[in-house]
Amino acid sequence: MIASLYRIIVIGRNTLTEAVRQKVLSVLLIFALVLVASSVLVSQLATPGLDAAGLIDEQIKFVKDFGCGAIGLFGFAIALLSTAQLIPQELHNRTIYTILAKPVRRSEFLLGKFLGVVLLVALAVALMSTAFGLSLYWEEVKGVAYADSVYGGMAPHFPQVVDKVRQYEAEAAQVQAHGGDSAAQTQEMRALDEKYRLQETNWEGCKNVVEDYDRDVGRIQGQIRDPQLIEAVLLIFAKLIMTTGIALLISTFATSSIFTIVTTFMIYLIGHLESVARDVWFQRGAEVSIWQSGLLGFLSLLIPDMNSFTIVDEILAGNHVPWSHALNLLGYANVYLVVLLALSIVIFDYREI
Amino acid sequence: MTGLPLRLRLHRAFLIALILGLWAPAKIVWELRIAHAQDRLRYQGVTLTRQLRDQLGQGLTIGVLSGMRSVVADFVWLEVTVAWENEEWFRMGGLINLCTALQPRSITFWDMGGWQLAWNASVAATKDLSLPNQLRREKASRFWIERGLAIYKRGIENNPENWRLWADTGSLYEQRLGDYRTAAYYFGEAAKRPNCPTFYERFPAIMYGYGDDDRASYEAWKALWERLTPAQRAEPRHESDRIEQEIKRLEQKLSIPKEKRVFPN
Amino acid sequence: MVDTIATSTWAVETCGLTKRYPLAWKRKVLVALDHLDLQIRPGEVFGLLGPNGSGKSTTLKMLLGLVIPNEGEARIFGLPPDSLDARRRVGFLPENPYFYSFLNGDETLRFYGKLCGVAGAALEKRVEDLIDLVGLQNGRERPLRSYSKGMLQRIGLAQALIHDPDLLFLDEPTAGVDPLGSAQIRDLILRLKKMGKTVVFSSHLLEQVQEVADRVAIFSLGKKVLEGSLDSLLAESRETQVQIPGELDSPRQEQVLRLLGEAGIDPAGVRFSRPRLSLEQLYLRTIQTQPGPSARDSQPRP
Repeated sequence: MIASLYRIIVIGRNTLTEAVRQKVLSVLLIFALVLVASSVLVSQLATPGLDAAGLIDEQIKFVKDFGCGAIGLFGFAIALLSTAQLIPQELHNRTIYTILAKPVRRSEFLLGKFLGVVLLVALAVALMSTAFGLSLYWEEVKGVAYADSVYGGMAPHFPQVVDKVRQYEAEAAQVQAHGGDSAAQTQEMRALDEKYRLQETNWEGCKNVVEDYDRDVGRIQGQIRDPQLIEAVLLIFAKLIMTTGIALLISTFATSSIFTIVTTFMIYLIGHLESVARDVWFQRGAEVSIWQSGLLGFLSLLIPDMNSFTIVDEILAGNHVPWSHALNLLGYANVYLVVLLALSIVIFDYREI
Repeated sequence: MTGLPLRLRLHRAFLIALILGLWAPAKIVWELRIAHAQDRLRYQGVTLTRQLRDQLGQGLTIGVLSGMRSVVADFVWLEVTVAWENEEWFRMGGLINLCTALQPRSITFWDMGGWQLAWNASVAATKDLSLPNQLRREKASRFWIERGLAIYKRGIENNPENWRLWADTGSLYEQRLGDYRTAAYYFGEAAKRPNCPTFYERFPAIMYGYGDDDRASYEAWKALWERLTPAQRAEPRHESDRIEQEIKRLEQKLSIPKEKRVFPN
Repeated sequence: MVDTIATSTWAVETCGLTKRYPLAWKRKVLVALDHLDLQIRPGEVFGLLGPNGSGKSTTLKMLLGLVIPNEGEARIFGLPPDSLDARRRVGFLPENPYFYSFLNGDETLRFYGKLCGVAGAALEKRVEDLIDLVGLQNGRERPLRSYSKGMLQRIGLAQALIHDPDLLFLDEPTAGVDPLGSAQIRDLILRLKKMGKTVVFSSHLLEQVQEVADRVAIFSLGKKVLEGSLDSLLAESRETQVQIPGELDSPRQEQVLRLLGEAGIDPAGVRFSRPRLSLEQLYLRTIQTQPGPSARDSQPRP
């Protein structure tokens, strides 16, 4: 068992080495360019007349959407193209003969190649996510700078006002940390407030402005530093690995890489409608014939439900998706993958080479 | 006999049938559970109706099918800005509907879409000299406000827990329709939603004040005061001083009997 | 048939091994191998001869477990060819370099070694030994795509030996190799034989097969047509050769003829001739005395 796993890992690392040495990942440079370009483009799209909040929200949304979309798109291309030529290349170059002449099972060979592609896709996604993270950070810097300029424009000595309020907040925090009963606390807070009111002419206004500023900056940071984005990237990765599994299965009996690529792409698209097919089968609306619903039902048995992964959109829109749900989806993807691999092994074991 | 021996062919077919036979029902059950969970999360996918497909065109439809809905929606949104700059209001309205249909859970589209209609389009209508008289212009302006309101309301339907759309609707009623009572209701609802900025909790009372309904205003201030815990009253953001001030002023103005006053002194 | 024979007797045994391929466009069937019965003893050097398409490669692939037969059975040391245990004892040199061209020599050997279950210090030592054995010190750091044909054959041999197999399958081991390299490969085969290993190889170069093989089989159109030891197959039973050192002039030739006549041999059938060096022997003699660029590439063994 351990020896078997070791052989799979050896083949996996070899596959990854091949991809890296053949500079597959250099396509990610284009990805980086796309990110930079979209970020710059977005800055030009100032919807005039918008308040600072709306403007920045719009820009952040664009960068998040484009970034995740690009990770999905480039990741898909790398996953699909790498997997599609995995088996054909080994057959064409006949390198598979030398390997299978060694004490290596066909299933170990297949799993090893698959592992190599998974590692490649993981590496690509990690690199792209890092670049994405940097571009988000850049958006945050821009956003905060913009907020600074807007508020600075409204009140000329805005930075000093901010300092004053921060001082006040620090002292207020100390008062509340001391504890004691609420009446005493209220007294202390009033006294503190008075003290500052004497120092600043429009103390209420100062507090309000800084509160607004904090809220705006907080909203920007909240959108950017959203830990749910990690969840989103993981879901995108799971979707990519499912695609890899489908491509591998098709390639075990396909005669050319093109066939694998086209078929996998079709299944990927149909997968987004699988939920519709399933619904038709279960509800069997009047306008659908028994044959049509039968076909759709049959399809829904086999085709993966890719649409459920578009819950990434929810995360991008800033809505909360609990980790339990994400883990549910990841579990589904993993089990589906195991099924795909099992089928691939069965078909490949008996393939003429 | 060529190819695999029959024995092996049958063995292979059996294994495939076994794997699929075990997986297919499990898959369906699992997918239904996921769909159910997503319904509970109020996750609104998009159903690709024929109309939607026609509006998007083939390229963007494939984009949606590939799961790049948000990017497609963003692209369409760029067109909204273009339509606004060209003052093509009806086209803009259609595009806003498209964006919100594509991503009903993204607040940005509802929020900014409603603003574009109820403010920008509507104000532009009042200056539209192609219409014969002021009355017509007012009617046109009103038309766009109604459309903006419809957007906000649909947005709230899809995102009932988001404070911003409630607040936007309140602003619409306040600023564009002058209906302070309804504005007060919407601001109140906004204040109940998570993450709403604190000052919205005071808006209902203020709105009633704008509408010269002192009684309602007083009731609102009083209700707010009673809702705040002593700890909260100590927090500056709740502006308890101001609340107290307003209550006292209104108690004076309305001549509330001393026993019933919140601040008897 | 196979079960009645003790598993330790034969290194390779086939019984009725058959492989057919469908020809889609002709609606006919190609019989690549037709009921092959073959036995190879451990420690023998066995040659597979025959024109292209005669079934040699198909036989090798089935013995390596790469191809599933339609009928019949094969055994490697009594085990099924596609079992891991069988393949642990088998090394394979393919006729073309079916290796990963992006790996260098060292990496290639380590990769295949790990797949065979050799690891750690033992693997490192074997890699060193084999690099020395095949003479690839110069190329070990360079990727395989930069190797010459001769170097590829050598790395091929090295990877076939990486796990010290008992049985070696060599498919056209000297095709495209220069005579010096060829001679080295031939020496290596003989050395492996001395170590007790079994070597099965296919070749078109009949002279070379003659030099090393104990037994051969000749294939034609998917059938094994002839099989046997070289001695028995090649010996012309009807004649005897006598080799005498030095030249024999005419008078002494007459003397020999008279002697033979007294022994009852018809002098008319006797021929005197000068034995010839083989061209290979002349070439090797010449090359090895001249230090030249090719000698640097491959280190001749004393």
